[in-house]
Amino acid sequence: MSADAHDHPNFFQPQPGTKGGIASWIFSTDHKRIGMLYLYCIVAMFLVGLTLGFLIRLELIAPGRTIMGPQTYNALFTLHGVVMIFLVVIPSIPAAFGNIFLPIQIGAEDVSFPRLNIFSWWLYVTGAVLAVVSLVTGKGAPDTGWTFYVPFSAVTTTNVDVAVVAVFILGFSSILTGLNFITTLHRLRAPGMTWTRLPLFCWSLYATGWIQVLATPVLGITVLLIFAERVLGVGLFDPSRGGDPILYQHLFWIYSHPAVYIMILPAMGVISEILPVFARKPIFGYKMIAFSSLAIAFAGSLVWAHHMFVSGMSDTAVMVFSFLTFVVAIPSAIKVFNWVSTLYKGSIRVEPPLWYALAFIFLFSIGGLTGLVLGSAGTDVHVHDTYFVVAHFHYVIFGGLGFGLFGAMHYWFPKVYGRMYDKRIANWSCLIAFVGFNILYFPMFIIGLQGMPRRYYDYLPKYAEGHFISTMGSWVLAAGLLLMFWNLWRGIRHGKPVGRNPWGAATLEWMVPSPPPHHNFDAEPVVTHGPYDYTGVKPDA
Amino acid sequence: MYPQSLTPVQQVDLAFIIIFGFSVFVLLVITAAMLWFVWRYHESRHPVPAQFSGNVPAEIAWTVIPSIIVMGLFYYGWEGYKALRTVPEGAMEIKVTARMWSWVFEYPGGKRGSVLVAPVDTPVKLRMTSVDVLHSLYVPAFRIKMDTVPGMETYAWFKADRPGEYDLLCAEYCGLKHANMITTVKVVDKAAFDAWLASTDAPGGKGRALMDTYGCISCHSLDGTPGVGPTFKDLYGAEREVALPDGTKRKVFADEGYLRRAFTDPNGELVVGYDPIMPSTEGMVPNEDMEQMLAWLMHGNEVGREEGRRLMEAEGCISCHSTDGSIIAGPSLKGLWNAPTTVLRDGKEQQVTADEVYLRAKIANAPSLGTVKGYDPMMPPYEHLTPEQLGAMVEYIKSLGEHAH
Repeated sequence: MSADAHDHPNFFQPQPGTKGGIASWIFSTDHKRIGMLYLYCIVAMFLVGLTLGFLIRLELIAPGRTIMGPQTYNALFTLHGVVMIFLVVIPSIPAAFGNIFLPIQIGAEDVSFPRLNIFSWWLYVTGAVLAVVSLVTGKGAPDTGWTFYVPFSAVTTTNVDVAVVAVFILGFSSILTGLNFITTLHRLRAPGMTWTRLPLFCWSLYATGWIQVLATPVLGITVLLIFAERVLGVGLFDPSRGGDPILYQHLFWIYSHPAVYIMILPAMGVISEILPVFARKPIFGYKMIAFSSLAIAFAGSLVWAHHMFVSGMSDTAVMVFSFLTFVVAIPSAIKVFNWVSTLYKGSIRVEPPLWYALAFIFLFSIGGLTGLVLGSAGTDVHVHDTYFVVAHFHYVIFGGLGFGLFGAMHYWFPKVYGRMYDKRIANWSCLIAFVGFNILYFPMFIIGLQGMPRRYYDYLPKYAEGHFISTMGSWVLAAGLLLMFWNLWRGIRHGKPVGRNPWGAATLEWMVPSPPPHHNFDAEPVVTHGPYDYTGVKPDA
Repeated sequence: MYPQSLTPVQQVDLAFIIIFGFSVFVLLVITAAMLWFVWRYHESRHPVPAQFSGNVPAEIAWTVIPSIIVMGLFYYGWEGYKALRTVPEGAMEIKVTARMWSWVFEYPGGKRGSVLVAPVDTPVKLRMTSVDVLHSLYVPAFRIKMDTVPGMETYAWFKADRPGEYDLLCAEYCGLKHANMITTVKVVDKAAFDAWLASTDAPGGKGRALMDTYGCISCHSLDGTPGVGPTFKDLYGAEREVALPDGTKRKVFADEGYLRRAFTDPNGELVVGYDPIMPSTEGMVPNEDMEQMLAWLMHGNEVGREEGRRLMEAEGCISCHSTDGSIIAGPSLKGLWNAPTTVLRDGKEQQVTADEVYLRAKIANAPSLGTVKGYDPMMPPYEHLTPEQLGAMVEYIKSLGEHAH
């Protein structure tokens, strides 16, 4: 570890006068330790979700039964969705890297409510355990898809009850994290840390926090209603008792569409941190990027029914939601243009985090542009609920959030561990994962346009070629990701020690030792320049 | 652009082409700029970075221009959608019922089937609903997709410009056999369609022919019109008030025993309101022929396992009930006949036998009979089936073998 470790124990080491051990982690109120708890849980859950996805692709390598029956397949894609969405993607960057770096980036000692913070992690663990329990108890693993659409979710005898309770609890974990970040950003900024000197990562977490606080309760209500429907037989969504199944879809998407922005906004924040550091130049259009995060959070809350163009809702509603969907495309486009312009006339150092950021921009652009096809009413009718949608959201969520998360891992790795991974292997793993990703998901656009519906255990022979190529891609992608995780794992133990600021960044987390000490700063810092002002900042070593 | 002259398929494809064209252009520009900047402004070629942090005109430009373009994209998408939703006057209407995991199409005149047959060059409006969970009718070739929602009617329309066979798939996840909820749209020329619609699927059967031969039908109508004697329509199993020779009246069910007696001693239990004019068949009709007619009366005009098999395919029964002993979502039809069955009803277990009465009632209204132990309560009622059709289905089940004790 670095030379600083002798004076101040870093946050991995026991605080002076206390014992270490597992209890000092799982009951810790230190935002960095909580962030690490989240990070390890999320990586573990990501590997679970990855395995499920890998098995799904294996089953689909050829028509007919390959390795599992239809009931198992239906349970697997449901779990893949639930694990990836609720246990990986939604908490991912905010709960892990947000917790570790948001307080340090604004010069604070911790978040506003440290005990609430560890409580939210415990809720996350409880939810995750319940999700696992739902697999092995009751009459079989849930088989509804992660969207739990009624009436099917109300009539299936699989273990949906436990799964929706898990989702309910996970929702509270998310709400508490969002609440904590909003309050922290309002109350705990260091002197001189004005709103326009706030790192864009913090801005993105601020916008995300509002969505978490405002939209997640709707999810809680919705899954409680499923529970009431199943256990008490309320009939709210049952037409034979005067209910309406389409009402459920509205309630579900009022949360779950903004949730897409809970997923992607923090990743956009990470990209906004990485690009200027490696371009050695201030971010292009700071205010527009910060503002567009808020615009996305706001407009993104008004577009939920674009998931429902063929649900049977009125044509007028289709027109309104199609229009608003095109509106929300604009702030996303602004961000992409500003990122690319940040590279213009920089002095670019090509390091692994930058490769991940560039991969993010490319993959997210494809995801975003294909979103236009889905937002447009006439074309959506054809590709709705086909593999085109599967490809689109994997480009946005995996290509976007996923590569953003990997970028964050490679960017902040030296700060968290005080060591550097093997950069050459990191570059190779990024390239392999990128190539595998495109082989895996791009053919899905084509078979989707040809009419291949999603959530199909079996398929017509004319889609066989696309599915085969896609499964090949899943192997390449998995190889790239395993290489990446192995490289990071080796870096934790054997990497070359680094100092405080190996990339030459200008945000506050790079001013403290690596790994940071327990209380972050010896004295409250006074901020005198913006987060992307690199004059006089040099990478050490 | 001449929207009026475009079919919905062309209108939608135009929107696809415009959006994809724009998207590919934007993606190429972004990617090329990104890679060019990384190469051109690499620290080895450009050691001193410029220190500007924005450019207001540029930012306004790439806010305003994309805003205008996406409004254009919205417009084309909406035009395509409108074309898909605007049904021409006088379109032929076909009712669609979706259920786990099959489709039933009902044509003008009442003909039903599991394949969608449609005439070429004719607008067809599909009026759709579902009897259980959400499904979605999707015909990629016509660019149409619409959810079928229980308790609600939705619609879609198409006009096929070429005869041929097109895939029709379920696009809304609906459980175990979602991926098998696939059928065909068979587009045929108009003359062939009319001929198909006019043809009857009912093969009749020997019993029906014998009824003609012996002249029964001249007194007993088949369609419910009153005649000299009671109609045969819906006779089997029906309740009738009869008069005994001593003048007392009582109610009977037209079960097998009653029908047998009615052949041999027609006036012993005379249906109230009719005259005792029917001759006994004793000695006039060979026993073998009487059995055929009896079977026809009991098991419907469309007696015969072939008709039962056709119906069970058309109604989607076999997508949940296999005919080879394997378990899908419900018990296999193979060996079901006379099988002892445990039924959960109102929380209690009951022992029943899968006999004719049970099977008829089960097919017609499954929810009222409780659930067979070990299976989920998901079978919808099939109340539109006539007694004849139920009889044919039971015949088919019988033909798949009796339960091995």
